[in-house]
Amino acid sequence: MSDDGRSGQQARLWISWLVVAALLGYGVAQTVITAAKLFTH
Amino acid sequence: MLSALDRRHTVAPPGYSRWLIPPAALAIHLCIGQVYATSVYKNSLIAHFDVSQTAIGVIFSIAIVMLGLSAAVAGTWVEANGPRKAMFVSACFWAAGFLVGSLGIATKQLWLLYLGYGLLGGIGLGIGYISPVSTLIKWFPDRPGLATGLAIMGFGGGAMVASPLSRQLLSFYDPAYDPSNAGSTASGNALVWLFVTLGLGYFVIMMFGVANVRVPAPDWRPAGFDPATVAAKPLVTTANVSAANALKTRSFWLLWVVLFCNVTAGIGILEQASPMIQDFFRDNGTSAVSVAAAGGFVGLLSLFNMAGRFAWSSTSDVIGRKPIYLVYLGVGMVLYALLALVGQTATALFVLLACVILSFYGGGFATVPAYLRDLFGTYQVGAIHGRLLTAWSAAGIAGPLIVNGFLDAQGEPGTLTAAAYRPALFTMVGVLAVGFVANLLIKAVPERYHEPATGGDGNEDTAPVAAERSGTR
Repeated sequence: MSDDGRSGQQARLWISWLVVAALLGYGVAQTVITAAKLFTH
Repeated sequence: MLSALDRRHTVAPPGYSRWLIPPAALAIHLCIGQVYATSVYKNSLIAHFDVSQTAIGVIFSIAIVMLGLSAAVAGTWVEANGPRKAMFVSACFWAAGFLVGSLGIATKQLWLLYLGYGLLGGIGLGIGYISPVSTLIKWFPDRPGLATGLAIMGFGGGAMVASPLSRQLLSFYDPAYDPSNAGSTASGNALVWLFVTLGLGYFVIMMFGVANVRVPAPDWRPAGFDPATVAAKPLVTTANVSAANALKTRSFWLLWVVLFCNVTAGIGILEQASPMIQDFFRDNGTSAVSVAAAGGFVGLLSLFNMAGRFAWSSTSDVIGRKPIYLVYLGVGMVLYALLALVGQTATALFVLLACVILSFYGGGFATVPAYLRDLFGTYQVGAIHGRLLTAWSAAGIAGPLIVNGFLDAQGEPGTLTAAAYRPALFTMVGVLAVGFVANLLIKAVPERYHEPATGGDGNEDTAPVAAERSGTR
């Protein structure tokens, strides 16, 4: 794989993991907020 | 244009990072996991169509039945055409399901919602669920449990994303809607725009998966990986079994029973989670657990369900598939019995027991593709997985039937106590015992079911002759 190909793949790796991390992070954060009500109510 | 999506055009070039595949799989599973968040807008749909709970609940049931059926029927097609085309088709069906459903809401035609979200969306669900599984197993022959755990964790995470997102979108499209008020319902117009937004949004995210997914070249191996080290483990084969032949083996049906029992037991708690915790701590007709706290308990279960998918499936790479299912089912029996006998003594104990049980439920889903790989090889593991998922559909009917059947005999909702749950919970102990024994009976697949050696690794690209032969056996 050429240097251009390698750097393009690095960018794809970062973007792909960022997209799924953002989605999962949003879901987990929102669920933790909801779950906290078990201990505060 | 569709030929660009074919398997032969998606073989990875040398140097392609295998770590691009898990996010591609997650992009699909995070979207289709939305199916478990339909309760968010259920009341709004009931108010909009002015129909019963059952009439709206049927939409979810159609989708889940179609998931099982399409995964079983389309499994071989998915294997033959590769993950990219399968993901694309899944995205089209899933998005079309939302768009046709939105048309049904806009025109107040409930049958369009059944056809859209239920039928079309359900097909998207089934194809999407199995589409990345065999590809992940081929990219991660050294850690199949971790790889499939990551993807199937996304299915659990999808509901966690869709639930709050749907509430926020409905509030945005209908400012009069108050998601914190259980009696508040969103307008039909807000529901239409929610479905359109979700359909288009999910289509775009799923295209990330379509763009990034690749199949490994037939002779590809991870650096430093020696297949002999994997084959040396008990029950792990280097041979390949076709989907048609897998159905003829005893091990397939025993594993079907294992999955059915594990899912039946987990669904029993999941389906009843919110009223269950309130009933367990009811004294003189009043529960010590508020509605908001019960909602928090459901959220906590979702987190453990998702975490169990990744953590337990990854652990199975170390301790083996059969031992991990002995843990899910054997320890699960002990936990269910404890829940029935001492669950009402302290809220913390009840929550702890239920959370571990739900982590086993998720783990059972995520570990099963790797178990199939061990038993039947990589050749048509996606198609075999699709057929096995009919156990999920069956458990989706059996689990709630068992729990609701026992509870209906015990009294009215809102008046039940911990004692009312004991018959259902002890029945689940029995169900898990059946699964435990079935798992113990699983043995290596006899050689007569193996595909003839092709010189490759059993990928579809290298085993066309075997594929044809398997149909004539």
